[in-house]
Amino acid sequence: MNERIEKLVKKTVAGEMWVEPVSTEYDKKDLFLSPMKMSGKRVCEYILNQEPLILEESCLTGLIRFDDSVEGDVFNRSGHKNFAVAYEIFYLHPVDNLLSFEWQHSVGDFFKVIQNGLNGIKNDIEKSKTAHEGDESAIEFLDTQYDLCNAIIGLAHKASQKALVVAKETKNPEYQKNLMRLSESLKKVPEYPAESFYEAVLSLYFCYPYIPDSIGLIDRYLYPYFRQDIDNKIVTKEEAASYLQELFLMLQARKHISEDTFHRGGESHFCLGGYLTNGEDGFNDLSRLIVEALLELPTWIPQVSLRWTEKTPTEVLRFMLNCERKDPNKRIAFVNDEPRLKGLMNHAGLSFEEAVGYTMMGCNELALPGGMVFGFDPMNVVRSVENTFYKRSDDLVKAESFEEFYAIYEEELFSDLWEVERISKGFQNIRSRDCNIVSNIFLEGCIENAKSCTQGGLTRYIAVGLPIGLSNVIDSLAITRQFVYDEKRVTMEELICALRNNWKGFEMLRAEILKRGNFFGNDDSCSNEVAQKLMQSLEKWNNTENYLQKKWLFGNLIGYHPYHKWFGEATQATPDGRFAGDMVNFGIGQTQGKDRKGMTALLNAIAKCDPGAVLTGPSVTNVLLDEQLIKNDDHFEKLVKLFETYFSLGGTHFQLTYVSKDDLIEAQKTPEKYRNLRVRVSGFSDYFVFLNEGLQNEIIARTKHTS
Amino acid sequence: MKLLPEQNTLLEEKTKATIFDIQRNSFVDGPGIRTTVFFKGCNVRCAWCHNPESQNFKKEILFYKNKCTECGRCKELSVDNENFFCLNEAKQICGRKYTIQEVLNEIMKDKAYYQSSGGGVTFSGGECMLQIDFLEEILKKCKENNVHTAIDTAGNVPWESFEKIIPYTDLFLYDIKCFTETLHIKGTGVSNKLILENLKKLSDKSKGDIIIRIPVVSGFNDSAEEIMHIANFLKNIHYRDIDLLPYHKMGAHKYEALGIECTDYYIPEKENIKKYKHLLSL
Repeated sequence: MNERIEKLVKKTVAGEMWVEPVSTEYDKKDLFLSPMKMSGKRVCEYILNQEPLILEESCLTGLIRFDDSVEGDVFNRSGHKNFAVAYEIFYLHPVDNLLSFEWQHSVGDFFKVIQNGLNGIKNDIEKSKTAHEGDESAIEFLDTQYDLCNAIIGLAHKASQKALVVAKETKNPEYQKNLMRLSESLKKVPEYPAESFYEAVLSLYFCYPYIPDSIGLIDRYLYPYFRQDIDNKIVTKEEAASYLQELFLMLQARKHISEDTFHRGGESHFCLGGYLTNGEDGFNDLSRLIVEALLELPTWIPQVSLRWTEKTPTEVLRFMLNCERKDPNKRIAFVNDEPRLKGLMNHAGLSFEEAVGYTMMGCNELALPGGMVFGFDPMNVVRSVENTFYKRSDDLVKAESFEEFYAIYEEELFSDLWEVERISKGFQNIRSRDCNIVSNIFLEGCIENAKSCTQGGLTRYIAVGLPIGLSNVIDSLAITRQFVYDEKRVTMEELICALRNNWKGFEMLRAEILKRGNFFGNDDSCSNEVAQKLMQSLEKWNNTENYLQKKWLFGNLIGYHPYHKWFGEATQATPDGRFAGDMVNFGIGQTQGKDRKGMTALLNAIAKCDPGAVLTGPSVTNVLLDEQLIKNDDHFEKLVKLFETYFSLGGTHFQLTYVSKDDLIEAQKTPEKYRNLRVRVSGFSDYFVFLNEGLQNEIIARTKHTS
Repeated sequence: MKLLPEQNTLLEEKTKATIFDIQRNSFVDGPGIRTTVFFKGCNVRCAWCHNPESQNFKKEILFYKNKCTECGRCKELSVDNENFFCLNEAKQICGRKYTIQEVLNEIMKDKAYYQSSGGGVTFSGGECMLQIDFLEEILKKCKENNVHTAIDTAGNVPWESFEKIIPYTDLFLYDIKCFTETLHIKGTGVSNKLILENLKKLSDKSKGDIIIRIPVVSGFNDSAEEIMHIANFLKNIHYRDIDLLPYHKMGAHKYEALGIECTDYYIPEKENIKKYKHLLSL
């Protein structure tokens, strides 16, 4: 990290890079205009009134923020009045303990702007105006987009002037040179196509605030500029790294230091590597430089995922895992292109060439460049189990086989899936009452269709569903199969009675279930088969007869809020030994200590459960590791092979957590939740919770925090 | 043909083994990612043994008194009942009979991980070579399925047992507790004569597919003199590597759970381990 970036880092982590919105006065007579014209006019005035931050250390600029006075970007939805109403009523308040309301993610097609400039987009707008001749509302919308391009260009010219002023004030000759170049470059980009790596990064930096979610596949679309400038000795690797670092610091600076999210790496997620359209693996020397540059920064945002392919060299996975273990801020995760591309092609209906363009973003969502993610937000899928056992008990007792039982469960599952589709459609209707102005030029289809991305203009979107509590469902079904049908240990009546009494009077049965139940993650044939059956049901339900007219990709993450806890609090006891009110699980890697057979068993179970790749939406697999495994170099080498094999078997995602002191202390207090926490030193191994207190304390004393 | 009762027993020994744990995802019992099968029963009584539950050939109960709530359930149910379990995990049954197919099924679950990491299966214990017929059969099955095999042994078994399994064993993890015979008898209850003889023969036959494992136990073999003796002996042995295994006290709670007295030894100084590595040219 050079001295310039060091100074910027200090300012960023101190919160000094925060850009306050400049409040703007609007003409009252704007109210005489049509709503669209008024919005467009005010957005442009607002943008031109902003003051992009230019420090004497700056090589890049453009960060602005929207206040609520205009409809801002489509990610934050500031100023989107209908969205605000829905937020007040539904956000953090799931409907019928079934579905919650959330934001929607988007990825701008920044390459298009870098390559064509905003002038190129203006040409597209002109063409679209010709195509929509006579359609007043279309022309009105397109005019706002043309004006928006000019406003962004105008702001760049304004910033160019400001850079000149700061350049004259600075006494540092190197900084002065940088600022003079910034001033000159802003006359060119983002208005015109970028011609160098520096201009490409500046164009991206400047346009990002208008769709500030993910920067996308930067190692792919910045690569031609990087390669050309490195080969022609126009830029050094060190200089290129410093521009990338300044870009990353802007992403961090978008969060206010007082916000919880300032220290949370759940936003501004992007990807490296992955398949290229020619079928080759895309991890290149820029990818490597990007990670190295990122890890030099002691910041939390952005986070990055490696897109692994079967062609990814082991050395690349080792490099990324090594970066991960060295990163105290835990910014790196891993996703697998093999099942995901299958999901994107088989379910989302994309071609291979389209599918390879996806990027991870947010916590672990995905979208294509110039696209958004629609669909339903966290859904309580455990409610379908609850309905089966509490509302269909008369049918259940007549079921003579697991197959008959499962058919009843499947009806309840499908019924809930259709219900969430209905609620989700309601949410989408509310969102579509707002007309977003500022993000459309970066999204696919809006200009061609002459409609806002919030009002049906967008053509590039993926439909996702987030059933939370999938492992509770698998476990509940597997336990029912094992105890009621395979072993006949209890009758269905007894199991229903146990659940209705919240296990009171059935403590022994519950203990036996927890002790020897076939829980997901142990790689036994019962839970593996049930897991596959559940995924097949999701696939069977999946259809295009919904309001998005696309099949869904499913996932299991919950974002920032503990929906798994809230869903659980309102859900009655379930056959997996869950008491009424206990939280349900999110992700697919955690089964609350019920996975007892070690990491390969867990990873095998996950990799095998979804051969149809329907669970390739925002899926999360958390893996909790003994800290020694990651610290010890010999063990680390085996971990590289472990995760490479897991991906080659079909696992979609993993992110690592090491055993921290806090985890171990918590394991002492609630050992039942940490049953799979294995401690091993030189040939001796035991489960942590089986060790006596003295030994546990000794190990706690030796374990360090890793984040 | 009807089998005589003793033939039945023999057949069972060949097709079933008493095993107390099958641990998948082991990173420490040989190269790569491995599954370790722990056989129950041993004929060496190392006073520092960290797996005392591995010594007895029969199924036994570990009783963690501090976890017992005196619910009395264990008095109603026989521990021979396969479904026995203690709600509080105060009583844990250690060991059960496994068929070859059961063990093989468990081993084969992680074959993909062995292949990618250069791992495989390790048969450990206890002393796995004391259930030699079963061991020979399961090794054959593993080789038929292209799984790398390792044997973790103390070597105190007839040479004929080695001859049976050498064709199907890719790697031996061979323990040397000490060189001086009187010290060996004192620390383990048995002479090391057969152990060292077997190692020599194995070395001649297996051409170095051996990793020597030496526990370093303060109060037993933690001396330069003893390590030098071992180093000298090893000059005529073909081996791939030597692992020094510093003593630790992490098996102590199991002694208490088994109601066996635990001999107190000391953890060796790190400096000593460094010194011994030097003496052994590591």
